[in-house]
Amino acid sequence: MDKNTRRKFMKTLGASIGAAGIIGSSSLLSSCNKVETVAGDKITLLTSSGELVEVDKAMLKPADMPSLSENQKRGREGLPGKSWVMVIDLAKCRNARECMKACQNHHQLRPEQHHINVLQMQDTEDTAPYYMPKPCKHCDNPPCTKVCPVNATFKRDDGIVLIDNERCIGCRFCVAACPYSARVFHWFEPRDAEKYEGVAYNIECNVPQKKGTISKCLFSADRLRDDKLPTCVSACPNGVYWFGDRNEDAVTNGTTKETVSFSKLVKDNAAYTLMAELGTKPRVYYLPPKDRTSPFQGNIEEHHS
Amino acid sequence: MIKKLTLLIVVILFLSAQQGISQEWLVPADKQSIENPSDYNLENVKKGKDLYMTNCKSCHGDAGKNNSLALVPLPPDIASETMQANSEGSLFYKLSNGKGLMPAFETTLPEADRWLLVNYIMNYSPDNTPVWVDLPPVKARLKATVNTVNRLVEIFAEAENKTGNYSNLTETPVNVCVERAFGNLPIGQVLTDNEGNAEFSIPENIIGDEEGFVTVVVSLGEDFEAKKVTVEKLKIGIPKETPKLIKKGVIWSTNENIPMWMLLSYLGAVGGAWLAIIYVVFQIVKIRRLSKE
Repeated sequence: MDKNTRRKFMKTLGASIGAAGIIGSSSLLSSCNKVETVAGDKITLLTSSGELVEVDKAMLKPADMPSLSENQKRGREGLPGKSWVMVIDLAKCRNARECMKACQNHHQLRPEQHHINVLQMQDTEDTAPYYMPKPCKHCDNPPCTKVCPVNATFKRDDGIVLIDNERCIGCRFCVAACPYSARVFHWFEPRDAEKYEGVAYNIECNVPQKKGTISKCLFSADRLRDDKLPTCVSACPNGVYWFGDRNEDAVTNGTTKETVSFSKLVKDNAAYTLMAELGTKPRVYYLPPKDRTSPFQGNIEEHHS
Repeated sequence: MIKKLTLLIVVILFLSAQQGISQEWLVPADKQSIENPSDYNLENVKKGKDLYMTNCKSCHGDAGKNNSLALVPLPPDIASETMQANSEGSLFYKLSNGKGLMPAFETTLPEADRWLLVNYIMNYSPDNTPVWVDLPPVKARLKATVNTVNRLVEIFAEAENKTGNYSNLTETPVNVCVERAFGNLPIGQVLTDNEGNAEFSIPENIIGDEEGFVTVVVSLGEDFEAKKVTVEKLKIGIPKETPKLIKKGVIWSTNENIPMWMLLSYLGAVGGAWLAIIYVVFQIVKIRRLSKE
């Protein structure tokens, strides 16, 4: 008898809690979808065509927010049939740093953040120093995408490795995984943050950038979609960069607009990739800094101990 | 006091900047007299002209046409008196070091190229006989068709002669290219015959799009004013391979990419462990019941 009443009590308690929950949550949900309605109250609004109109407050309905998913979905697939490659001719680089400036403008990066960085290199004490632009290698076997716990960074079928800043949780596992130090973290508010407020996020250029997330070179995927060369390639005044589709075996120089066979260029000049021994299969090839036409003007000695 | 001082500094800076613009561009005497190490000949002037076209023309305009960009101060025409008043050494110093809006080409052009540019400027010097004469590009017409059976590009070219009529263009090189993502890839060059005709046989190994369609572009050299002729897409190439980079079912971190065997073995192991625990608990309960009896 005793047992029975307790069971009954628990049953009714459970049912009433459940019912209260359902009623409460549904009323909460419905209140989110409605705007306070007071009949007769007018409100002045600016239409998209620039006219000021007066509307009854009761008529107001919350607008549908443009969904980000379409852009993000499209950005995940890549351009069909393409396989982007970059060839960097180290003999041509004179440290003009136009690529870096253009890139930082395009991708809303602070002065200390680099998607592409021109480094001063000297392989041994006996060999000559040279300048080496270093973008993301867009590896075919990318270590960074594999460690991402939320699938925010991914590889596309056209070879580009991208980041979805809307998914990124800022754990920085990918920064640790990348052997080329290609990734940057937004420790602070990105450059011109107020200028980009309200701009729809574009996964193919990581703009607007988000504090607390990762960014890196994207081969200007947004420009490639418009049949334009990447920003750094177009900005270079010295003909350092060749860029093109490996599937059609052609690369175009961003400065001279000359188009050559990719395989021939790479073979004739004994091109190499950085840290090939890691098996990352980079998409950025370097032509050795042979027959340089301008003297090295940096101060590499400082970095040698 | 500080306010006055800053105002003074600003005024001085402004004045000096003004003077910097208006002042004559002085070149150190020892730099003025440096001799041009490269010879003044057609080859070097031509090379200099090519460099001028890519590096200088955007501001200084065409030689002798006074069509430079409207900047302050105005970039002088290279054939003008202002420009030609400079010695070769001064020209080299100025284009190397730059001033104001004039960029320093020291960082972008090698020394030899900068001297070649000086050579090109000297082509317009009143003291020199010009070795390079700018001729207006000849008006030309170009026709091209692709014969898919014989794999031939058939070209016909004609150009305007002195009387203003079009006549067959003979012994002239015609460039044949194929369209690529960001430019035209040259695949060969042919000379026109006496009738202005030329035939170019398309190599077998031209890569087309996914179906093997190729866009052929035919053009004449720089001396001719003729639009490029783009032949419509034709199936004359080999289909381009598009290897899949993204394999489904690799050991990546997210569910959608996990290989099936891995998912099943993982779930199997977890399920097995739970079953073992449940079995043990069940057995303990059984022992208890037995002990009560």
